[in-house]
Amino acid sequence: MKKFFSNILTILFSIYPLSLFAQTETEVEEANRQLLTVWQKMIPRYTKIQYAGGMGLLSAGAGWNYGHNKSWETEVMLGFVPSFSNDRTKLTMTLRENYVPWSVRLGENWSLQPLSCGIYINTIFDGNLWIKEPKKYPNGYYWFSTKIRNHIQFGQRISFHDKKFTHRTVSFFYELSTCDLYILNACTNKYVRFSDILSLSFGIRIQLI
Amino acid sequence: MLESIKKDIAKIILYTEICCFSGCELIEYHPYDTRIYGDKEVNLTQIEELENRCSSKESIRFILMGDSQRCYDETEAFVNHVNTRNDIDFVIHGGDISDFGLTREFIWARDIMNKLNVPYVTLIGNHDVLGNGSAVFEEIFGADNFSFIAGKTKFICLNTNALEYDYSHPVPDFGFLNSEMGTRQDEYTQTVAVMHSKPYCDQFNNNVAEYFHYTLKNFKNLRFCLHAHEHNTSETDIFEDGIIYYGCPSINKRSYLLFTLTQNEYSYEEVFF
Repeated sequence: MKKFFSNILTILFSIYPLSLFAQTETEVEEANRQLLTVWQKMIPRYTKIQYAGGMGLLSAGAGWNYGHNKSWETEVMLGFVPSFSNDRTKLTMTLRENYVPWSVRLGENWSLQPLSCGIYINTIFDGNLWIKEPKKYPNGYYWFSTKIRNHIQFGQRISFHDKKFTHRTVSFFYELSTCDLYILNACTNKYVRFSDILSLSFGIRIQLI
Repeated sequence: MLESIKKDIAKIILYTEICCFSGCELIEYHPYDTRIYGDKEVNLTQIEELENRCSSKESIRFILMGDSQRCYDETEAFVNHVNTRNDIDFVIHGGDISDFGLTREFIWARDIMNKLNVPYVTLIGNHDVLGNGSAVFEEIFGADNFSFIAGKTKFICLNTNALEYDYSHPVPDFGFLNSEMGTRQDEYTQTVAVMHSKPYCDQFNNNVAEYFHYTLKNFKNLRFCLHAHEHNTSETDIFEDGIIYYGCPSINKRSYLLFTLTQNEYSYEEVFF
């Protein structure tokens, strides 16, 4: 994470001036090479598509994995929620942080990630919802945000390392997730059980680089 | 505790196995996705039962409760308590059946209220409008303004949560009120108005409060008005004309108002459970 931010800072504050103030041709080339290297580091490392999970019927996005054994993942996803009883389809955006601590090899081409866990923040693009209560309400009338939902997630993955055709790793995953307001509902009532607030999702993740 | 977690885990595994994409309750596209499973148009079916049940009654006895938002345990206790009584004709839920307007909250609350042995009707509260709650309410319970006739009394149930709507929807709906004045005129002799928030409260469109009350009084023999929203028992003669607005306690107070209404008189009491 630290490296990620330092890369962004490097781009903003050192590389551009370096290329601007470069004097000789080799200096310019070197500056451009550095610039490309830094931008290359920003290319998403994997892409994924997910069904359900409080972030749309289908959502797709890309992310970066890094850290020890590349077990940390940061990803951005876009999804859509069909209209159902509502008047129109809505777009949602999610920022996620996952941690996949272990990977167990299963034969030559397969491996199992017995645990993936993470948190995600989801926002839905919907004019009826708000981050903070609109000014028309008396102060503190509704203390919560209807637009931003914080989720927590646990799941498992199975990965196929395709060594013949695509030479990529394709993972299939499922997750059980819940969100802040559901947890509040369950914590304050016996009637709402743990299983009532869960949401199941599944999807495919392709490691690109 | 351990036992219930074990049961939950077994249930999750079962659900995962039998889960078939969109039909499954475990699949959710968004907490505000307005995707509904189970009973719909509940008010419509309940009113049909209610009117049949009360059709020949001279005197009716009903419960006004409300603001059950995120108090499922108390609501369940209420339902169990009412089911032990046999002198109730129907129940009116005064609104705020959900707390955050989440689709699942409506479903949880509906499933508890459906266990009542007597018919019930549900009004829309300000919390039920949150998110896309008004669409969920309409799908699960029905229109936000509706009426029914119990015995010889017409109950007019109104959406009065004007603060939530920004003029996108008429609240209170005078068009509805005026059209109601002309329907089923021979079937009732007196009228009771029910709403979630009463005139001059934070939710009401107070610019039309007096005209609202005036319109209600144009109904045949308006006896009194009922509301929820304030979470406490209250009795106010808002317009100082003898038409009293009665407010019911929220369900977490573990009490409700019990009304007995005949042609000549009415009475009420607060009952604790």
